[in-house]
Amino acid sequence: MLRYSQLASIAILLCIILCGCAGFGDVTRTEAYNRFAIKAAQAQLWNEAVFRWKQVVSIDPEDAKAHNNLGVAYEALGNMEEAIASYQRAAELEPNNKYYRLNYRRCRIHLRRSGGDDEDAPQLEEPLPTE
Amino acid sequence: MQIAKRIGILLGVLTLCGCGNAVTRVSIPVKVQSEIDITRYSNFAVLPFISEKQIERNEKLPPEIGEEIASILRRGLARQKHFEVVSTQETARLLTGETVEEDWLSNTKHLSEFGEYFEVKAVIIGSFRFYADSRPRRYYGERYSVQRQRYVLDYQDYMQKTYLLSLRVMIVDVETEEVVWDESYRRSTAEAHTIGSFIFSQVGPQANTIRELGRRAVSEFTRQISPHYENEDRYLVN
Repeated sequence: MLRYSQLASIAILLCIILCGCAGFGDVTRTEAYNRFAIKAAQAQLWNEAVFRWKQVVSIDPEDAKAHNNLGVAYEALGNMEEAIASYQRAAELEPNNKYYRLNYRRCRIHLRRSGGDDEDAPQLEEPLPTE
Repeated sequence: MQIAKRIGILLGVLTLCGCGNAVTRVSIPVKVQSEIDITRYSNFAVLPFISEKQIERNEKLPPEIGEEIASILRRGLARQKHFEVVSTQETARLLTGETVEEDWLSNTKHLSEFGEYFEVKAVIIGSFRFYADSRPRRYYGERYSVQRQRYVLDYQDYMQKTYLLSLRVMIVDVETEEVVWDESYRRSTAEAHTIGSFIFSQVGPQANTIRELGRRAVSEFTRQISPHYENEDRYLVN
């Protein structure tokens, strides 16, 4: 026979799982757009991805991941100024996210090598996060 | 008390799992600039490559191999929109009566004079070493033994012949007589031989092998000095 403590643990675990399932069913529109855009990006359909992430940004201008992903798409399309602006916005919104900083830094390194870097742009000179 | 502790740990783990951002790694094309100043070095004369005399193997190569490597390089550079190259025919015509020798590599003044004669900004010259290294090898595998009615360990001896090409490429600035590029490119290829085919390979022609290795080495050099695209990773956050 199960002890009272074990039953309590199982009950709490079930509650957490059910809460998680309920949340999953209520996927927001921006998340759906983001997922679709990522699939488009993986298929190298960058214009489609930009369109979707722009929609996410118009719905929620504070969505840091959409700004970051938009930056990647702009960079893939060669729009470096817009890419930098998007990465900067993502890094401003979530300064501690290592992936945003990593993307931003790589973009800056690439831009510096090609001679198009802006000297006044904020520097993120801390060591790169380990992947 | 113990239950509360357990639940606390469980909640902590679940919270941490939920907070982590899932990321997708994608490759994007990024433009890589030339490693030389292409605004300055826009036209070249490519002189025949010199066979390094101290390598015994090189002596057996046909003398036109150096010119063939230079010709491969000329074709590779001519395909790039940023560069103009003096054609093979024009180079041969202007070099009539001259023999490109190993001491030219160190005589940048002489090369600079040639560059002026060719009316180019830079002269490309280099040398090559080509040699083969043969070693006996043993390949282990399995074969079915009818006698034992099962697979048994078996081996086969063969000769592995590795051809190596070391290509040195130099770019000499005609105006300043400076060496602006001096790199060596090593390429190798290996063949498996039985005793019979190994003997034949020792006396057979090597020109095709050196041409192929030369093409690979030259394409690496061309890639380095011309703007090109490379794939780089970026992170998309889910």
